[in-house]
Amino acid sequence: MATVPLDDAGRPLFELPAELAIDTDVARRVISGFIRGQLRQAGFERCVLALSGGIDSALVAYLVAEAIGPANLLAVLMPYRTSSPASRADAEAIVADLACQSELIDISPMVDAYFGREDLAGAAGPEALAASAIRRGNLMARTRMAVAYDRSVTFGGLVVGTGNKTESLIGYTTIYGDNACAFNPIGDLYKSQVRQLAAAIGVPRQVIAKAPSADLWPDQTDEGEGGFSYPLLDRILYWRVDRRRSLEELAGMGFERALIERVDRLMATSEFKRQVPPIAKLGPRTAGVDYLYPRRRPGSARA
Amino acid sequence: MQPLRIALAQIGPRLGAFDDNLARHHDLLRDARAAGAGLVVFPELGLTGYLLQDLAAEVAIRLDDPRLAELAAGTDGLSAVVSFVEESADHRLFIAAALLEDGEVRHVHRKLFLPTYGLFDERRFFAAGDVLRAAPSRLGVGVGLSVCEDFWHLAVPQLLALDGAQVLVNISASPGRDLAATNEVGLGTASSWRLLMRTYAQLTTSFVVFCNRVGVDESITFWGGSEVIDPSGRPVFSAPLFEEGLFTVDVALEDLRRERVALPLLRDERLELEARELGRIIAERAGMAADTTAASGAAPGLDVAPPEPYESPAADAPARTAGPVRAAEPIRLRARRR
Repeated sequence: MATVPLDDAGRPLFELPAELAIDTDVARRVISGFIRGQLRQAGFERCVLALSGGIDSALVAYLVAEAIGPANLLAVLMPYRTSSPASRADAEAIVADLACQSELIDISPMVDAYFGREDLAGAAGPEALAASAIRRGNLMARTRMAVAYDRSVTFGGLVVGTGNKTESLIGYTTIYGDNACAFNPIGDLYKSQVRQLAAAIGVPRQVIAKAPSADLWPDQTDEGEGGFSYPLLDRILYWRVDRRRSLEELAGMGFERALIERVDRLMATSEFKRQVPPIAKLGPRTAGVDYLYPRRRPGSARA
Repeated sequence: MQPLRIALAQIGPRLGAFDDNLARHHDLLRDARAAGAGLVVFPELGLTGYLLQDLAAEVAIRLDDPRLAELAAGTDGLSAVVSFVEESADHRLFIAAALLEDGEVRHVHRKLFLPTYGLFDERRFFAAGDVLRAAPSRLGVGVGLSVCEDFWHLAVPQLLALDGAQVLVNISASPGRDLAATNEVGLGTASSWRLLMRTYAQLTTSFVVFCNRVGVDESITFWGGSEVIDPSGRPVFSAPLFEEGLFTVDVALEDLRRERVALPLLRDERLELEARELGRIIAERAGMAADTTAASGAAPGLDVAPPEPYESPAADAPARTAGPVRAAEPIRLRARRR
């Protein structure tokens, strides 16, 4: 059975619901082969990823380093001026531990150039000085995406996704922002499973133990913002999605009905974020409808 | 009697790259021959890769394709099972497995069961085969070919064994999934396959030779784990999961005789009983005969009646989800980012 490492006080480092425990050795082998396969088919040997200091991107960094070696990984640290210094310190500790390549790019001037700063209006005009946290968070995520794709050219590597299954299913992600990537090695792992795999592969304990956060404003945490705990949310999603249990059956298992309904609604309203946008069907063959090819095939790899 | 050396070519074909994969087949056939193999087995669609979609028509070959003849030419004194997309004269595309022996294409099996559910979409791109036959072989025993999903249907191994196959060959492109820590080998797919293959080997008192590919097509990772199982259901060899390689294993074909004498299950099969009852079930399902085994109230062709008469909910009845289930405290779970 899977074991959870203990913290200094002898308590489990995180909560791992029994039904979510995976065989981490098999997961590492599958993911390593997946990463190498994606690169080979595309004609690349290197990867670029946005390293925040959080557990998701940390885990992906370790997985990529394990698959292709740390010299072939460029971790891009992209703090905004309000980002937590602790996040950056954790990201730097990960870079040091992996001995991968890294770059630090402060995105503050890019974001501020649009929204403005203090009382100086930016490209979006004076109205945007009072932009909401959602707008700011989304632009930060999309700015990081734009930088990662630029570094993809300079470094000659594919952008690796770092989103997990939990946040994807409830739509806790910025479309074309943090969810933009060439491929995603951990997108089918729930947050609890990300923690389990992170512990197995050697992600620093403080990164595993700290409260997950999008770090888009000070002291933001996923669970504080959403009003849920990840192990509970993961269990609901697992039984609902992977095990096809009905709402009634979940309620019968002891989950709070209002919470199940809320989770259902989040999944339904975020369906669009998980799919390629529809194209109006006009011609005889339409991409994604009746023109269906593998993403990579003979001739499609970079020469 | 000399043992039969079986070579399992557990490879990861390149998707859509027929000529590359063909060259690889030639090399491995040579290696297997050098290693003294008598039977070489390649995985499902080893010549083309699995997740072809619209590429299927572009990599399809006819049975008279010179490239297939060339491959067969490399099987002098050897048996090999290879797999590709076959285009028939009427332009249907099949997932085919061919038994090549002594320079010839000895037998072709067209995949019978095309999974089109879950992560599979085969029926969209391929035609299903209609014929299931055991093939006589230079090995001195009948060979029964099947492709992946064919083995998830009980009738297939049984019919092959009854038709004279003593070596059941299943070639697969099985996607690995379900990493639950409680699985036998950390992979649910492997556990399921192993259970059913060992059961088939025992119930048909035949060798089961399973060659599953490795490598990655798009999202899917194929898990390998090719196996040879003896007629008592005991695994003789299990290849490593996910690792590419040419694995050889020796089997004693005399085990077939020993097992079939000791455990004469095939001798005792009741074909006329199966045929009679199948005939009855077919007629009943088609609504052409009164269904003698259906629950009362079942519609023609359906064995099961609805559990209870359907009642439309009364207009004034409370809706099922309304009322006291509403949470006392609001739950704030919501996604903030767009």
